[in-house]
Amino acid sequence: MELYDIAVIGTGPAGISAAITATVRNKRVLLLGSKNLSEKLEKAHEIRNYPGFPAVKGSELAAAMKAHLDSMGIEITEKRVSAVYAMGDYFALQADQEMLEATAVILTTGVVQGKPLPGEEQWLGRGVSYCATCDAVLYRGRDVAVIGYSPREEAEAAFLSEVCAKVLYFPVYEAEPILPESVRVIREKVTGIEADGDRKKVVTAENGYSVDGVFVLREAVAPGQLVPGLETDGSHVKVSRKMECSIPGCFAAGDITGTPYQYIKAAGEGNVAALSAVSYLDQLKRAKA
Amino acid sequence: MVKKINEAEFNSEVKKDAVAVVDFNATWCGPCRMLAPVLEALSEEYAGQVNFYAVDVDENPGLATQYRIQSIPFIGLFKNGQFIDQSVGFRPQAQLSGWIRENL
Repeated sequence: MELYDIAVIGTGPAGISAAITATVRNKRVLLLGSKNLSEKLEKAHEIRNYPGFPAVKGSELAAAMKAHLDSMGIEITEKRVSAVYAMGDYFALQADQEMLEATAVILTTGVVQGKPLPGEEQWLGRGVSYCATCDAVLYRGRDVAVIGYSPREEAEAAFLSEVCAKVLYFPVYEAEPILPESVRVIREKVTGIEADGDRKKVVTAENGYSVDGVFVLREAVAPGQLVPGLETDGSHVKVSRKMECSIPGCFAAGDITGTPYQYIKAAGEGNVAALSAVSYLDQLKRAKA
Repeated sequence: MVKKINEAEFNSEVKKDAVAVVDFNATWCGPCRMLAPVLEALSEEYAGQVNFYAVDVDENPGLATQYRIQSIPFIGLFKNGQFIDQSVGFRPQAQLSGWIRENL
């Protein structure tokens, strides 16, 4: 398998900046994200404090950044990273169905909007799961609820319906879910997850639904879930001045590290993170020599 | 070395060990697969002090029920056959090592 020097996860200003600097420093970079870069940047009406671009539209700045990547031959790999495992002297990235490897990782995934549901973190691993493919079999022949934040999660609910006795699906989006008939779709706003004896209860504004397990499936995963074992501070990652995270070889930049949520701050941090990753790689190389 | 065991072996071996770390996993669980080499490394680190085992929860549902395992990978720490503590999900080697040391 190909081992990259640095994997950059996210294609906002922080990730683009990190990928550019790492490429300038001759590292083999894997940039994971979207060819449309960043929805947040794309939709920014006007940015007035990005040096060199007075009163620029977000979409214009994004186009300029894309051109910059293209001019340096930096490609974007369009895969969703669902987990990053710290294996010791390298990281394994679960990207869609594939496992990718890099010596260092820079997290630039932005900030996850929205708080966890009441009870979600309390019961995590004890009736609440974020991974249907991981934990489905533990609920064989039992009842589960799926709280799906995007149509992408319907496949997971369909998979659960093959294993579980009963699957309740709570869509947290407008589109009409396409699911096997055995899955019961409930269009009610979930307000929390409570204990119900040995079972769990999904509480909505209107009702309560008793199940054995609750799968909470979101488009964007919180940083602590993305990188198991990473020290976080709510929805942000703890970093040093050098953008180092709590796990050696892991760095972060941009909104994920906290406020201010500014494009120029993100780009600056991306630069620092890339340079720190470069010196980490050099140290590792020297230690091995 | 991490020794793969079944329920009967669990009851005979883990119960008599001074300290044992048991990895409850399944073949279809991605994080479990990633954790396997980490536990292998830990078993070297703690060779002679702690015995390491792996239990497939699919093949041994009785143990999964007994320890109320609802999410895997589930690492159980046992002292003199008594269940002491658990660690759920993937964690880097340094963190798991710290957790084992605290419990020694």
